[in-house]
Amino acid sequence: MSIQESIRIVGKGDVALVEWDLIGEKVNKLSSPVMARFREVINEIKTSSYKAVVLISRKPKIFIAGADIDEIKKITDPGDCRKLLDQAHEILNELEDLSIPTIAAINGACLGGGCEMVMCCDYRIASDAKETKIGLPEVKLGIFPGFGGCIRMPRLVGLQASLDIILAGKAVDGRKAVKLGLVDECVPQQQLEERAIKFANEIVASNKGKRKKRFKPRSVLEKFLESPVGRPVVFSQAKKTVLSQTKGFYPAPIKALEVIQKTYGSGNRQKALGVEMEAFCQVAVSEISKHLINLFFMMEDIKKQTGVADPQVNARPVKHMAVLGAGTMGGGIALLAADNGIKVRMKDITNEALALGYKAAADVWLKDLKRRKIAKHDFERKMSLISGGMDFAGFGNADLVVEAIVEDMEIKKKVIAETAKHCPEHCLIATNTSSLSVTEMAKAHPRPENFLGMHFFNPVHKMPLVEVIRGPQTSDEAVATVFEASKKMGKIPVVVKDGPGFLVNRLLLPYMIEAMFLLEEGMDIQTVDRWYTHKFGMPMGPFRLMDEVGLDVCVKVVKVFKKSLGERIQVPSVAEKFAGSGRLGKKNSRGFYLYDDKGKELSVDQTVYKDLGVGSPTNKLSEKECLERGIFTMINEAALALLEERIAERPEEVDLAMIMGTGFPPFRGGLLRYADSLGSQYIASELEIYAARCGQRLKPSQPLANMAKTNRKFYP
Amino acid sequence: MSQDRDVVIVDGTRTPFAKAGTKLKEIHPSELGRVALKELLDRTNIDGQLVDEVIIGNVGNPSDAVNISRVIALRAGLPLGVSAHSVHRNCASAMESIAEGFDKIKAGSADVVVAGGTESMSTYPLMMGDAFVKNFERLSTARSLGQQLGALGGLLRSDLKQVVDLMTTGPMQSTPFKPRIAVVEGLTDPFVGINMGQTAEILAKEFNITRQEQDAFALRSHQLAVAAQKSKRLSEEITPVFLPPKYKEFVAEDVGPRAEQTMEQLAKLKPFFDRQYGSITVGNACPITDGAAMVLMMSRAKAKELGYKPIVSVRSYAFAGLQPERMGLGPVYASPKALKRAGLSLKDMGLIELNEAFAAQVLACVKAAGSREFAKEKLGLDQALGEIDLDKLNVNGGAIALGHPVGATGTRLVLTLMREMQKRNVEFGLATLCIGGGQGGAVVLQREA
Repeated sequence: MSIQESIRIVGKGDVALVEWDLIGEKVNKLSSPVMARFREVINEIKTSSYKAVVLISRKPKIFIAGADIDEIKKITDPGDCRKLLDQAHEILNELEDLSIPTIAAINGACLGGGCEMVMCCDYRIASDAKETKIGLPEVKLGIFPGFGGCIRMPRLVGLQASLDIILAGKAVDGRKAVKLGLVDECVPQQQLEERAIKFANEIVASNKGKRKKRFKPRSVLEKFLESPVGRPVVFSQAKKTVLSQTKGFYPAPIKALEVIQKTYGSGNRQKALGVEMEAFCQVAVSEISKHLINLFFMMEDIKKQTGVADPQVNARPVKHMAVLGAGTMGGGIALLAADNGIKVRMKDITNEALALGYKAAADVWLKDLKRRKIAKHDFERKMSLISGGMDFAGFGNADLVVEAIVEDMEIKKKVIAETAKHCPEHCLIATNTSSLSVTEMAKAHPRPENFLGMHFFNPVHKMPLVEVIRGPQTSDEAVATVFEASKKMGKIPVVVKDGPGFLVNRLLLPYMIEAMFLLEEGMDIQTVDRWYTHKFGMPMGPFRLMDEVGLDVCVKVVKVFKKSLGERIQVPSVAEKFAGSGRLGKKNSRGFYLYDDKGKELSVDQTVYKDLGVGSPTNKLSEKECLERGIFTMINEAALALLEERIAERPEEVDLAMIMGTGFPPFRGGLLRYADSLGSQYIASELEIYAARCGQRLKPSQPLANMAKTNRKFYP
Repeated sequence: MSQDRDVVIVDGTRTPFAKAGTKLKEIHPSELGRVALKELLDRTNIDGQLVDEVIIGNVGNPSDAVNISRVIALRAGLPLGVSAHSVHRNCASAMESIAEGFDKIKAGSADVVVAGGTESMSTYPLMMGDAFVKNFERLSTARSLGQQLGALGGLLRSDLKQVVDLMTTGPMQSTPFKPRIAVVEGLTDPFVGINMGQTAEILAKEFNITRQEQDAFALRSHQLAVAAQKSKRLSEEITPVFLPPKYKEFVAEDVGPRAEQTMEQLAKLKPFFDRQYGSITVGNACPITDGAAMVLMMSRAKAKELGYKPIVSVRSYAFAGLQPERMGLGPVYASPKALKRAGLSLKDMGLIELNEAFAAQVLACVKAAGSREFAKEKLGLDQALGEIDLDKLNVNGGAIALGHPVGATGTRLVLTLMREMQKRNVEFGLATLCIGGGQGGAVVLQREA
C-alpha cells in the first residue's frame, strides 16, 4: 500500500488540489500513518509556489469518515493517548497556520476527525448530495471530539448550535450547514470541484486571503445567549438535558461540556487544546468507551454478515411482502417494509382489523409529516405501498410472508398451510411468534425449507432487533434472505436456533419472574423499577416491562416455559392472580402501573399489592440483591442457552441481541461483557447464596458452574 | 369463433360509490383510483411490467393531477415504464377508456390494458368570480402605490358586491361576483345553455312520463340496490376505501341506497329544475357522487398465455351523437350501432345496464326503444330497437340509488354487468349510458366463464 498515493497534490494553476483517496480502504479515515502523510503534504505545499489549497475526496460517498476507531480502541494508557493527540494537533495546527488560504470541498460523510480537519480550513464548501453529512458523532463511542472540535466548533457556529452537534453527536447536511455558518456555500454535487477551484482563485485574486471565521450572533436572543450573562444559562440547560437523557451513565458529553465551558472564548489555542486533550484521555481509556466501540464494531460486522456460514449462498430479493394479521405487530411490520420501499399486503379477518394496521403505519408517518421530516407526497407514496384485504389477493406475488396472528399453535399451523397454497414456490413464510416452537410450526408448511422465524420486538418501528430463527429444516437461502431483508428494513438481525423464547425472551423471562418474587418478598414496585433504571441503566424496570408486554402474555409464556424448561422455572403465586384482578398491563391501562388513555404511564397502582395478595411493601431487600437476582438469573440462563443449547453461537450475538432487543445498557457492553467484568466465580457464588434462601431456580446452571471453577469468561 | 385478438376482461373492481359530501368527500380522485387499481393488481397478481397501457377516464380533471391516469398508475405501484393516459367523454369517460382498450388490443398495439375511471365530485372546486380574477390580475401587475391601492380597492368592492349577490340572487344563479361552482358549470350544457336536469324535464314532458312513474322507478332502484347489498352481490365488486390521512375509518359499502325509501317521501320532494311545472326531483335523479372503478383487459391469447380465466369478452362498442337538449336518449342511439357491430339484437341481451341519470330519462329510453316510429324518424331504422324487459334492466339497482361519479360510471356498468352475467349464466349483456353534451355510449359483452 502506498500511503503516498493516498493523499496527493494535483496542480490546478495557482491552486493545489489535495485529493484524498486512501488506497485499499473503502473510506478515508485519519489513522496515524495517514496523518503523517498529510503532514508531508502540508510541508510540500509550504515550500511550493501555490497560492491556495483545496481539499477534496475521491471516494464517492465519503469525505473523511473520522479518526481510525481501531486506534482509539487500542488506547489504554493516557500517556499514549496524549502522544497520539499531540501529533494530530500539531498537524492540524499546521494546516490552520498555512500562509495561503485553504478551502475544504466536502462531498459525503465528513464526520468526527474529518469535521475537525475542515474546521481548520479558512473556507468550506459542501455539496448538496444527501450523503453529505458534517458533524461530530464522537459521543456515540463514549468519547468526544479530541482533535480540537470542542474548541473550533463553538467558535465557528456559536455556543448553542455547537452544543447541539457535540453533545448529541449530530450531523447536518450541506444546506443546514450553510444556515449554521459551518460551511460557506452548498453547491450541486457535480459542480463541487469546479466551484471550489473557482472560489479559491477568487480569493487569491481579491487578496482576501486567510480569515478566522468567528460566529456572530444575529438575533437579540443569540446575542444574549452568547453574552457573559447568557452563557451560564446555556451551559446549565445543556447539562440538565444531557443528564436527563443519559441518566448520568455516560460521562463523555458532560466532560465535553466542561471542556467547552473552560475554553470557550479563550484566545490561547495551545492552552485550550491542552484542556481538551486532558479530558479526552480520561474518557478514551474508560471501559464505557471501549464497550461502545465494541458495540459499534459489532454493528459494522452485521452489515458484512449474511446470516449463514456458506459464502456461496445469496439472499433472494424481497420486493413484495405480505403480512398475516394487521394488528399492532402486523401493522408495524407493514410500516417497516413500506418505509423501505417494499410493497406489502396485509391480510386480516375484518376491515376493522385492517384499519388498525393502516393506522399503525399512518400514525408514525403523520408524525414525520408534522415534523416536516417527510412531505405530503412522501406520506402518500409510503401509504400507497401498503394494501390490505380479507382474502389472499396479492399473495401470489409475495417473496416473503410474515405471520403475526394469534399465538395459538393449531390456528397458526392451519393458516400457514393455507397460505402456502396461495404463494409462489419460492416464497418464504416467517412466523413472528414470540413463544411458540418454530420447529413444530414448520410441519404445517409443505416446503419446510422455506419456513423460519422472524421475531420483531414491540414497538416494531422503534426496537432495532430481529431474531431470525432457524428451524431444523430451514434452508441457508431462506435464512440469508430474511437476514438481508431485515437489514433492508433497517433492523439488526441475529440468527438464533429454535427453543422456548428463542434468545431474548428466554433470558428476559427468568428476569421478570424474579421481579415477581421480589414483589412477593415485600419489595415496592417503584423502588425496584427505579433501581433497575437509575442504578443499573435499563430503559425500563421489570414491572414496567411486564406491563408493556402484557400481563396475560407474561403468564401464558411463563407456563409455556414451565413445560419445556422444568424446575428452573418457578411460577410465582402473584402471576396466578393477574387474571383475577383484571390487569392486562398497558393495553387496558391497568397493570402494575396505571396509564392514561394515550398509554402514558401515570403511577404505580397502589391497589395492586392487595389484589395480588402480597400485603404492603416492607422493602427488606437491599438494592444489591434486587439487581443481582434479576441480572444474574439472566446470565445464568444465558450460560445455558449459549454454551449448552447453542441457541446463539457467539457471546457477541447474545450481547447485541440484549442491547438491541431489551435496551440492556450499552455502556455495560452487554449482558455477557458485564458478566465477564464481574467474573463467573462471583456470579455463581452469589447465585448459590440466593438459591439456598429463595429457591432452586436461582441455582447456577451446569455451564455457569463449570465456568466458575476456573473463573472463566464468556469472551475469549 | 374465438380468436387470439378477441378482447377479454379478466377481472375488475371498484371503490364504494358515496354520495358527494359524505364519507369520501375529502378523498382525492387519484386516491380513489389508486385504491381500485391497487386491489385489481393484487387480486390478479399480475406482473406490472406486462401492462401496456393504463387508460383512465375522469371528467373534473383536478389541477393537481392533470394526467390523473399516470398519477394513479404510479401510486398503485405499476413500474415507471408503463405508459398511462387519461380520457374524457364526459359521463362516458370510463366507457371511453374501455373502448380505447378494446381498439388497442384488437389492433395489436397492446396486449394488456388497465381501463377504468375515477371521479370525486365532492372536491370539484369553487372558482373565483370573473370580477375577482380581474382585480387579482390588476393587483399582480400594479407597479406604483397608487395602482396597488386602486386594485386593492377594487378587490374590496368586489367583496362587498359578492355579499350582496349572495343574499339577493338564487343559489344557482351566477353573477360576476359570486364564486363559480365547477360542479354546476360542468353539469350545464354550454351549447344549448341548459343543465342536465332540464334536459330530463324535456324528455319527461315529450314522452309524457308522470312524476308518479318516475318516483316508482326511483324506488325500484333503491329496493334492488338494497337487496343486492344484503345478498353481498355488490360487495363482491367493491374494494373498501380506508380513509387517509388518519385511517381511523373505512367505507366498504355504497353510500346511497336507502332501505327505508317510500313513495310518500319521494312524493313530498319539490321539483328541483322546474319548480312550477317540472317533475324531476333530487329523489328521482341520480346524486352527484365520488368513486372509481377499474377492469383488466387482455387479448384472448395473452390471457391464455398467462393463465387467466376471462369473465367476459367485449364484442363491440359504439358511441353516437344527438341533440344536446335530449342527451338522455343517448342509449337509444348508441345501442343499435353497437348491437349491429356485434351481429346481435336487443332481444339477445340477457341483461341490460342502462345508466340511471334520471328516472325520466331511463323511462324515455324504454319508450323510445320500443317505438317503431322513433326508430324510423330518429334512428333511420325500419324496426324498433326492441322492448326493454324491466326484469333484465339494472337488476342490482342503478345510479339513482348507487350514484353516478361521472368519470367512473362507464366502467362500473361494465363491471356490474359482467359479474351479474357470470352469476346468472347469461350469454350476452348490454351496458349503455347517456352522455352530457348529447351522446350515447354502448358496450356489448359476451360471457366467458
